Amino acid sequence: MPKLTIDNREIEVPAGPQVIAAAEQLGIMIPRFCYHPALGAVGACRVCAVKFEEGPVKGIEMSCMVDARDGMRVSTTDPEAVDFRRQVIEWLMLNHPHDCPVCDEGGHCLLQDMTVSGGHGIRRYEGSKRTHMDQDLGPLVQHEMNRCIQCYRCVRFYREYAGYHDLGVMGIGSRVYFGRMESGTLQSPFSGNLIDICPTGVFTDKPSRFIGRRWDFERRPSICIHCSLGCHVTTSVHLREVVRQEARVNPTINGHFICDRGRYGFDYAGHPDRPRMARLHGRNGAPHEALAAARESLAGVSDRHGAGALAVMGGTRGSLETLLALKHLCRKGGWADPVFWLDGRQTRVMKAVAELYRPETAADPMDLATADMILAIGVDPLNEAPMLAPAMRLAARNGGRIFMAHPGPLSLPFAARHLMGSPGAFDRLLSAGVNLLKGPKGEEGLLETTAATAWPDPGAAVEMLRNLQQSKRPVILVGSDLAGVGTVVLAATLARVAAPRQAKVLNVLPGANAMAAALMDESGQAFTDVLTRMETGDVKALVLAECDPLWDFPDRRRLEAAMRSLETLVVLDCVDTAAARLAHILIPTQTVFESGGVYVNAAGRTQRAGTLFTGGLPIRRTGNGGHPPRLFGRDIPGADIPPAWQALWRMAEPDSRLEPEAVLESICLGQPDLLTQQDSGRFPADRIKPAGESREAEADESAEWETGPDAFRLLLADEIFGVEILSSRSPCLQRMEPEPRLWMSATDARELGFNDGGWVQIQSNGATMAVRLTVSGRMTPGFLSLPRLRGSGWQIFDRRSPVLAKRNISRREKGNE
Amino acid sequence: MVPQVLFQNRKPDRITTLAEYQAGGGYSALSQVLTRQDPKGLQTLIDEALLLGRGGAAFPMGRKLATVADDAPHPRYLVCNADEMEPGTFKDRVLIHADPHQLIEGMLLAAYAIGADKGLIFIRPEYEGAARILEREIGLAREAGFLGANILGSGVAFDMVVHRSGGRYICGEATAQLNALEGKRPNPRKPPPYPTEKGLWGMPTVTQNVETLCCLPHIVNNGADWFKSLALTSGAAGTKIYQISGKVNRPGCYELPMGIKLSRIIEEYAGGMPAGSTFKACLPGGASTRFMTKDHYDIEMDIDTLRNAGHRLGTAAIMVFDDKTCLVAATVNLITFFARESCGWCTPCREGLPYILDILQRIENGQGQERHIGMLESMARHLWKAYCAFAPGAASPLESLLTYFGDEVRAHITEKKCPFGGREAT
Repeated sequence: MPKLTIDNREIEVPAGPQVIAAAEQLGIMIPRFCYHPALGAVGACRVCAVKFEEGPVKGIEMSCMVDARDGMRVSTTDPEAVDFRRQVIEWLMLNHPHDCPVCDEGGHCLLQDMTVSGGHGIRRYEGSKRTHMDQDLGPLVQHEMNRCIQCYRCVRFYREYAGYHDLGVMGIGSRVYFGRMESGTLQSPFSGNLIDICPTGVFTDKPSRFIGRRWDFERRPSICIHCSLGCHVTTSVHLREVVRQEARVNPTINGHFICDRGRYGFDYAGHPDRPRMARLHGRNGAPHEALAAARESLAGVSDRHGAGALAVMGGTRGSLETLLALKHLCRKGGWADPVFWLDGRQTRVMKAVAELYRPETAADPMDLATADMILAIGVDPLNEAPMLAPAMRLAARNGGRIFMAHPGPLSLPFAARHLMGSPGAFDRLLSAGVNLLKGPKGEEGLLETTAATAWPDPGAAVEMLRNLQQSKRPVILVGSDLAGVGTVVLAATLARVAAPRQAKVLNVLPGANAMAAALMDESGQAFTDVLTRMETGDVKALVLAECDPLWDFPDRRRLEAAMRSLETLVVLDCVDTAAARLAHILIPTQTVFESGGVYVNAAGRTQRAGTLFTGGLPIRRTGNGGHPPRLFGRDIPGADIPPAWQALWRMAEPDSRLEPEAVLESICLGQPDLLTQQDSGRFPADRIKPAGESREAEADESAEWETGPDAFRLLLADEIFGVEILSSRSPCLQRMEPEPRLWMSATDARELGFNDGGWVQIQSNGATMAVRLTVSGRMTPGFLSLPRLRGSGWQIFDRRSPVLAKRNISRREKGNE
Repeated sequence: MVPQVLFQNRKPDRITTLAEYQAGGGYSALSQVLTRQDPKGLQTLIDEALLLGRGGAAFPMGRKLATVADDAPHPRYLVCNADEMEPGTFKDRVLIHADPHQLIEGMLLAAYAIGADKGLIFIRPEYEGAARILEREIGLAREAGFLGANILGSGVAFDMVVHRSGGRYICGEATAQLNALEGKRPNPRKPPPYPTEKGLWGMPTVTQNVETLCCLPHIVNNGADWFKSLALTSGAAGTKIYQISGKVNRPGCYELPMGIKLSRIIEEYAGGMPAGSTFKACLPGGASTRFMTKDHYDIEMDIDTLRNAGHRLGTAAIMVFDDKTCLVAATVNLITFFARESCGWCTPCREGLPYILDILQRIENGQGQERHIGMLESMARHLWKAYCAFAPGAASPLESLLTYFGDEVRAHITEKKCPFGGREAT
């Protein structure tokens, strides 16, 4: 532990960090531009110069390039150092356009701060400025190269950290240019981080351009709910509208960065189509009116047909409060417990995930970064939980080996061995790992014999198993879409038998609060069970709390028909979903930004999203003569929308006079600390239900994936943009959505005579869909992949991973447009 | 006539062929080493010969070789730095054109000393002729068994390729050159780790200048004491190829003993100054060395003597300025080059040099002000805190201009014009 003195204050730091980081621990912020904790020190900007007075290093040196060592005596205020830093600032400002008044960075600009605090106030340079042309980098990031101070943070993040290569640095000398070869949308789904890390206004937030200064905004910490990782964000609200989000540092989940889906996915909260009033059988009304009507209507169904005629579904994007209130409503009415999962397979998988959840072996997303071996089973990290990708890239850069068992296609910004094959073989691969680690140590040939049957490509299995055997910190990553119960069980078993190795497991889940839903789900039922009973007429009323099965149910026509046959459809939601438009009674609810709430992420971290603002209609400054407003009231217009959990509570307990805090206490299953938890502690699994004992796989599910030679197995895949329901409403992200493509292996395409880029027609359930084909070597033969892209008409299949006869795919001249 | 070592085979109109090189004892050093000496012994010999790097930094080659650990991983690389871009310097080109096999044998010896597996000659693109000569002669050497998997039946393997630079000054910096070879931007790297530990593609790498490598066959053939005896001053060793340009009657490349007096180089070999010109100053070793004045006209041109006098021998590219040359204009010329060639990585170099250039141009054009001198002085000092040695090199002519020719600079300011009647830089 080196002990050093910085500005006459002693500090002892663990070996390793640079002097600039040690000073930070003392609260001394040495100026910096190129240094960034996540990107490291490169010594480019020279603004962190300090004076080393005593110790192994002497004189003016860069505090980012010198490791803290014993006996150092450092002065950050030495006149020579201050003079040099002032000179550096003057140099950096030579070509800067001084356009702070029209720059979106103004007010939270590191360059502005350093220029003022560094004492460079008077311009001495008389020469002309070097200027650049800017580029159009797409809908998310605004480019203004003249403001650049060449700290190289952007390219270091974009290329080295995130693994994308369409942004780079060109030219030399004072003419260096940070941009693309030509204008065009940035390809990285992490491009928004450029805005956060740029110390000046070269990369600024395009959607919130010119909206306001940082001090105009209500900036509060929040949690991202667009996938199951629960990344930390800082959200800015302006005039009752969410306008901007930034990454908030969290060392266990997202580090310093977030993905573009999380950053720009908030537009649903201020969307013009957002339900701001209740709808009762086609007419608008107040929320409390709709609540009374819903209660009455549901009671009527119960009276006429019995409690069994009511069904309730909860969404995995709802807060823990909402899920608990929903359960309370069902129990109070004597109805069946709410269902959370679309089909039986997902229900069984999520039950297994919940029962096998162990805080001690649960991997946090950033645990992947330090793993020396990652085995990912049926996960497409970039599209299912994007921030896993940079964490895995860190592991790969640190020498960790990554194996991805997946039928494909996968697009990964890091080096990995793609084990292409059927999900039917996942369990054999994991069993091989379990057998190998359980087996006698050092037995000759055990690895080879184990690998022989583990995977269609035994060579790949040998490589994977050898790395697993030698690893010290392996992480097993399991998807919830392609993995079966057996896979989940075996992954947990593998983590357990590999425990001396500090093995961990992370299940990527469908939804921000899917873990909470899984932990409290006691119904054992799936939405498909409800659907069957809707079709037989046994279920006559349906309550949908912050979910829309019409969004992601594979057979939309069947579901829509069943929903139309309901006597009563009650929908509580903050977005104008297809189900909300079908609803007899629609109760608008608050968004996470207004209500806040507790979310349990895939790693079991219980995190509270704070309340950011009161809600209500955004203020529009019309400037068309409508000023001053003619009506005055004490209420904020549109602010009578309740949080979903309060609405559900009032449906269950119309006469209750309890204050909100008391309500939460009464529904929290006797564990009040669950809902008041502020930090990101582990979800106490044992408090919701007893942790299940380790279990064996129930049945061999591998046969489920067999299709025979005349058919394909179609995977309905995630996409980072255009699949998740909330973020799909952001206009800027809609522009990022890819064209839908059907992926087919080169072998199959050759056999069927299809060409890459050609149009094909898929027939299923009497419906057709036209889509262009991508022929890929990254696709397992016998499998097809189709993204569940919004508006692409993909919902024509009878189940989640349907079998598609080869004769039902045919060539077609062109698309539907 | 002083002894000609590196230039012993030099011909006025063509290269020395493989046969001619061998006839003069070429490749005997290689076969001698392969059969009779272990790599450590060769390293010791080089160390005893006091062979200092000829590319400008004058780092002892023996010491550099010793930093490659015995158990360092393979492949190990030997890079020959033929990216000769220091203004005024043209010895490497002459050496390659004169005697390419001398360089090839020198590289073989250096490779043997460190157990290198592959050699790369990093050559500036303007030297296309030299690159083609090398490629052809490397092929002939390979056919003759001097290169390849089993050199002269010894079991030692080594081969080499010629790599043409993208063509920027910074590519001549050893660590930037490694980045360039890897296909990256040629930004210098900051040790540690040193290239001899983790260099090209993370493997142990030794970089040497063309002239340094060319000395090796002669040291092996004649011994360390002979090599030291070539120099005129004690502590120095070998001959040096001095390149002289500027206001002299016979500019060119002269192989002379290390430590020869500057006055002798100018008067005896370069034919003296043109009629009507008197010596005012010179840059002793390329654009990134300090101006030397009349006071040093008789200085012994070796590494230590110059270092003790506060100067650097650099590449020994002597640029001579006469009393009719404006040194402000000359410095404008040099700084223009440096400002253009900065890699753009660190602030002092990228922004400081254009700033200095702007001020110098103002002074030269008669728009200078007294405060500019203080600004130049402090910026020249601050350039030393840059990332690599580029900016300190660029600061050298500027700082020495202000130190030795401050009156000339002030004359520009007070007269509001260039006293020499405009920009007539060399």
